[in-house]
Amino acid sequence: MSPVNIFDTIAIDPPYKKVYHRLGFQKKTTELTAKQRKETDLFIEEALSFITVKGCTLRTVINENDGSNVVITGDLTFASRKLSRFLDGCREVLLMGATAGSAIMEAIADKTGNDNLSAAVVYDATASEMTDAALDWLMAYVNSQLRREGKKLLPRRFSAGYADFQLENQKNIHHLLEMSKIGVAISSGFILRPEKSVTAITGICD
Amino acid sequence: MSKSGGIQRLWRKEIIVLDGATGTELQKKGLPAGVCPELWCLENPQITKEIHASYKLAGAQVVYACTFGANRFKLEQYGNKGNTYSINRDLIRLARQAVGPKVLVAGDIGPTGLFIEPFGPLAFEEAVDAFKEQIHGLIDGGCDLIVIETMIDIQETRAALLAVKEIKDIFTMVCMTYENDGHTLNGTDPVSALITLQSLGADAVGCNCSTGPEKMLEFIELMKPYATVPLIAKPNAGVPRLENGKTIFDMEAPVFGSFGRELAEAGANMIGGCCGTTPAHIRELAKALAGFSPKPPVRKSIGAVSSSRGYLILEGNNPLYIAGERINPTGKKALQQELLEGKTSIIRQMATEQEKQGAHLLDVNVGQPGIDEVMTIKSIIGLLSTVTKLPLIVDSSKIETIAAALRAYPGRMLINSISGETEKMARLLPLAAKYGAMFILLPLTDGEIPQTAVKRQAVIKNIYSSARKFGFTKNDFIVDCLVMAVASDPGAAQETLKTLKWCTENFHSKTILGLSNVSFGMPGRIWLNAAFLAMAQLSGLTMAIANPGSTELMNIKKAGDVLTAKDKGTQKYIEHFSDKQNVMPGAAAIEILSPREKVSAAIMEGNRENIVSLIELALAADITASVLVDKVMIPAIVRVGDLYEKKIYFLPQLMASAEAMKKALGFLEPHLKKSAAGNKGKILIATVKGDIHDIGKNIVALLLRNYGYNVIDLGKDISTRDIIAAAKKESPDVIGLSALMTTTMVNMKEVMDTAKAEGIKTNFMIGGAVVTESYARSIGAAFAKDGVEAVRVVEKLIKR
Repeated sequence: MSPVNIFDTIAIDPPYKKVYHRLGFQKKTTELTAKQRKETDLFIEEALSFITVKGCTLRTVINENDGSNVVITGDLTFASRKLSRFLDGCREVLLMGATAGSAIMEAIADKTGNDNLSAAVVYDATASEMTDAALDWLMAYVNSQLRREGKKLLPRRFSAGYADFQLENQKNIHHLLEMSKIGVAISSGFILRPEKSVTAITGICD
Repeated sequence: MSKSGGIQRLWRKEIIVLDGATGTELQKKGLPAGVCPELWCLENPQITKEIHASYKLAGAQVVYACTFGANRFKLEQYGNKGNTYSINRDLIRLARQAVGPKVLVAGDIGPTGLFIEPFGPLAFEEAVDAFKEQIHGLIDGGCDLIVIETMIDIQETRAALLAVKEIKDIFTMVCMTYENDGHTLNGTDPVSALITLQSLGADAVGCNCSTGPEKMLEFIELMKPYATVPLIAKPNAGVPRLENGKTIFDMEAPVFGSFGRELAEAGANMIGGCCGTTPAHIRELAKALAGFSPKPPVRKSIGAVSSSRGYLILEGNNPLYIAGERINPTGKKALQQELLEGKTSIIRQMATEQEKQGAHLLDVNVGQPGIDEVMTIKSIIGLLSTVTKLPLIVDSSKIETIAAALRAYPGRMLINSISGETEKMARLLPLAAKYGAMFILLPLTDGEIPQTAVKRQAVIKNIYSSARKFGFTKNDFIVDCLVMAVASDPGAAQETLKTLKWCTENFHSKTILGLSNVSFGMPGRIWLNAAFLAMAQLSGLTMAIANPGSTELMNIKKAGDVLTAKDKGTQKYIEHFSDKQNVMPGAAAIEILSPREKVSAAIMEGNRENIVSLIELALAADITASVLVDKVMIPAIVRVGDLYEKKIYFLPQLMASAEAMKKALGFLEPHLKKSAAGNKGKILIATVKGDIHDIGKNIVALLLRNYGYNVIDLGKDISTRDIIAAAKKESPDVIGLSALMTTTMVNMKEVMDTAKAEGIKTNFMIGGAVVTESYARSIGAAFAKDGVEAVRVVEKLIKR
């Protein structure tokens, strides 16, 4: 197992289009005045000033994949048929985690408390998309490292809480990724804090 | 081999053929997964030598030794940290044995696998040390040149290049890896990297890996006009793709080889292959490039600065450049306090604001008594490299601050400034040369500020003469023509303008002014500054240090650019001022609406700023509060809901309208005989236990309030016990529950079961990202997919 790679600052261009899309904007349908667009862009920029995207990755071998269970390092077992099928043929996996930090959550709470939900919803969407973009970045980074080995990541990723891959697994993933080092805690209900934090798993193909 | 010999002579005569992939070749020949490739190469010398020799046979003039990952951090993962030096030395010797004396052996340096501060945990100097350890081994092993490759972080690349230069003056090639979008994963583009690396002393710059040769052509074409050094292209054999779980590079050797000439025509001087290429690919490449005349760099020096994610070419007849002046604590108490406390929020804000306002560079001065300037400048440079793409000017009278900034800055910096003072020239010129920085030439001498243009010209010539000894050309500096206050010397501005004109017309250098000094001690400073700017533009000024937030100055600058024919086709001027005029028709159009229509339009448009004054106007026009609510505002907000459902509005518009409505209702409440708010029914709402996500619940609460419901919002992560207790106390008409996670969704059922057991017969409505209509039905609750639907569902439940 490689050591956990910690990324204290992930520099990504803000995914404006995805933020708009998350907020329900549809290019051919939604009608937006210049003032409304300017205000939304301003909220996105404000949100970005509160966001510090951090991430971590861990590359490890799959000891066993019997179609129902995936066993990785330290005999850690993920019981999930869907995950097992997703990782079929892979000899290694990449675990990854990312967070937008706690300042943005405080800013969202502040805006909500001050009756400014129109800003809060944009902050919320920006933080979600930045966190998602961070996972894209982590995958692109690992792919760039794998290229020399003639390997590649699966194009998609799988998260605890999806299909039959129980959210409870997030506890072990959080621990393995040492996510406390990037300021992410996990509750007894397996929810990551700060809220805009995510984990995911994907396969490494030969 | 000396730096001036060998490869230095070779690239001027012909296109140099580099080798192909080593990593993928090693795997074909049995390198197992999970082992240290460098150590395996030493343990299997025959295989390693076969690969090198096969590239030599194919026509490669340079082979890369298998030292790509032989740094202490990567070797430590395999328990070989202590052997860094010997592994590098021995791998070079192995390559030499394989190819003999006629083929050049490159010591290959790859990334450490760690990120340098502020992106990761690795300190810059620790990275430099680690690279030095590797380089000592490479040089003692007898390498002919060094290759730094596959880099994605410009700061790590700088660390490696500085490490080489601080050990030996050896030919060094530097390649970064660009994705299809034309940036490294850390956001550096090829031209920014080129400007940074060639000025820092790289002998050849280029790109390797990531893309196939077709895409790499674009990167070479982008770099060539600005290159002072030969360019390198080492593409993959196409873009890897997954086929039946296997990674495939599928560009055949003849196709790959056919791109050789195109790359050379675009300006590449050294061409080879990266992942997926084989000796067959290199053979085809060598064949294609045989006899091809190389295109040398088109220039010997360049006036350009860069940051980690952007660059500025200071050449040609361009509009006036603005260096944002605001990051300077002089006269700014809040910034002074922030610097003393080690905080950065004002600096972050000043940087982003100035970038948005049109600054091309940022001047950064942290001169504040009571702080460690060296530590502060390093930390501010780290911060700004993540916050802005603009190149920085570091402004300090302290040599130590400039020295620290030069080492830490991930680009080509502009030093503010180097004067004719003996100590400054003696210490700063070598530093600027080592780091390849540009500098502002300040025509001051020891103890004297030359008052006249003639005296300043002499000092400028003298500093330039000293700078030339360090290899600087007129492209590498900008002359500060010295702005003095007209309050103390009425002729001061004239002398500055004369100096400026001389620099433009006779000395042929770029120029810069710190504009606002001219008006120091005078009233109406902005007008003096603006007039002075216009005059300076006419005299050929290149760059002004100014506040881009000043509308007057920025408008004068734009007008000046037009009048000095520097705004091509007057495009920027027209764009800027057309935008401003567009605001007017909308504002005029609203005037023809009736007071009712204005209130309705304000709700529809989410006009929170003006809704109250528009309601006051409507009330003054004898429209009663109840008519306004029932006949104007409610229909407007219902229409907003419809538009949202049809996707004509998106969420921020829905929220803005809801907020305008809320503000309006709050204002009208005292005017209504019986409050409209709260008389339609009482709703208890909460996010269930274990769930901290509440944005959706907050949206629902706001919309319900706007429709006249009395909403009691218990908040998030609320226990079943607390929800039941509130239900008993408040006797609501509907209880709304929200959850985002599958694990917390089950708590909705628990609340409902408990309510049933306790005899509470209230209707439940549930929603949230993972909640579905069928789940709601299965537990006996109504379902709402979003806030607008929640209003409709509540109306139905209450009517029932």
